[in-house]
Amino acid sequence: MVRSQQQTTSTAEEYEALTKGAALLDRSAVGRLRLDGKDALDLLNRLSTNQLLDLALGQGRPTVLTSNKGRIIDLLTVFRLEGYLLVLTSAEARQKVAEHINFYTFGEDVHVEDVTDSTSMLSVCGPLASESPPLASVELNLYESASADIQGVTTTVLRTDSLDLPGYDLIVPLEHEAQPWEYLEVAGVPHVSGRVVETVRIMRGIPVHGHELGEDFNPLEAGLKPFISFTKGCYVGQEVVARLNTYQKAQRRLVGLKWGTDAPVKAGAELKLDGQVVGVLTSFARLPTGLIINVGLGYVKKSVPRSGGVGISADGNVLQANLIEVVPDK
Amino acid sequence: MTTQTAERTPLTIHITEKAAQHIRKFAEQAGKTASVLRVGVKGGGCSGLTYVLDLADAPGENDKVIQEHGLTLCVDKKSYIFLAGTTLEYSDGLNGKGFVFNNPNAKTTCGCGTSFSV
Repeated sequence: MVRSQQQTTSTAEEYEALTKGAALLDRSAVGRLRLDGKDALDLLNRLSTNQLLDLALGQGRPTVLTSNKGRIIDLLTVFRLEGYLLVLTSAEARQKVAEHINFYTFGEDVHVEDVTDSTSMLSVCGPLASESPPLASVELNLYESASADIQGVTTTVLRTDSLDLPGYDLIVPLEHEAQPWEYLEVAGVPHVSGRVVETVRIMRGIPVHGHELGEDFNPLEAGLKPFISFTKGCYVGQEVVARLNTYQKAQRRLVGLKWGTDAPVKAGAELKLDGQVVGVLTSFARLPTGLIINVGLGYVKKSVPRSGGVGISADGNVLQANLIEVVPDK
Repeated sequence: MTTQTAERTPLTIHITEKAAQHIRKFAEQAGKTASVLRVGVKGGGCSGLTYVLDLADAPGENDKVIQEHGLTLCVDKKSYIFLAGTTLEYSDGLNGKGFVFNNPNAKTTCGCGTSFSV
């Protein structure tokens, strides 16, 4: 779902708005699961990495749903709202997440409903997002939520900073999807395309499902350690994750890449150092700055030095790229 | 609710006499001598599934009910899929662990032995 009456902005202007002002993003594809039942929070706490049991009403928290091998099923953001939990999932993983939760539900009072298609979600993102008309009266810190009235429509507002910039998700029933879009567009908040969103995501080192997240990776190498509690006790995959952390056994790390060559590259390209394959490129985009500056994300072996560069394989050539560290050293 | 008297078939759940004695002793101490033993699994633990043992007033409507050594065991149907063939034992002595599930469906168990995967 994308409503836009004012698509007169260029990619560079969209990029500028998102990184220096405020912009409107269509996030309807993000999975939204509603969990009802008194045991829902306890169950999610047993299935994922972060401590959720102390989640206050209105608060949210990211947590990683892991397999019993400690691999990433999806990165979730769980909000405890009035009477139910709202779980944000990756667009591609929502069905898998719902099935996973249902598989592990035995006698518990838990009911999962996928409300992705019956609701609409847009986001206001950027350093000045909080000054946008509907949000100026809603003061939210990261992972807080509120209910707001936008054009007569009761809107669930979640502060998620999904692009590592101030970011507010606005969720309304599907039949009212037009109101917040029109209101914000009339208020002068420009809509930005998915391409620009993807560029900013990569530039800011944010991993997503299907590229940097999935069952090929564990949460430590993906830089998701801030979303793991090492004191909460058992959850599915805990033993593996704890061992990887204690003995520093993660074999790879997520890195950012930056290069200035015009040659085409492909996601999945090998990353090389001294002629040896040391990693893989997982995402890339070109900054809309007028200069040839490409940014990427990828995984490299942990032995690759933290300062320096790697080569990106591209049609028989090797393009030199600088490394930008995404995952802290500790 | 289906009731069966335990026979030595691989598709039921067994309890050893020693384990049954300890359950009865525990029930007496808790003042719940008329209870049934609820056996089940739930999601969680390092390996994905953990065992559940609890005293209940009566079996649930859709429970599978098993009687052995004078004890009534009830298992919800979903848990039964993961527990069929299990023998509930009691291990004591210096290295004893208390109640132990000998579950042929468990492919892996976590280091502490309290959770399993199939």
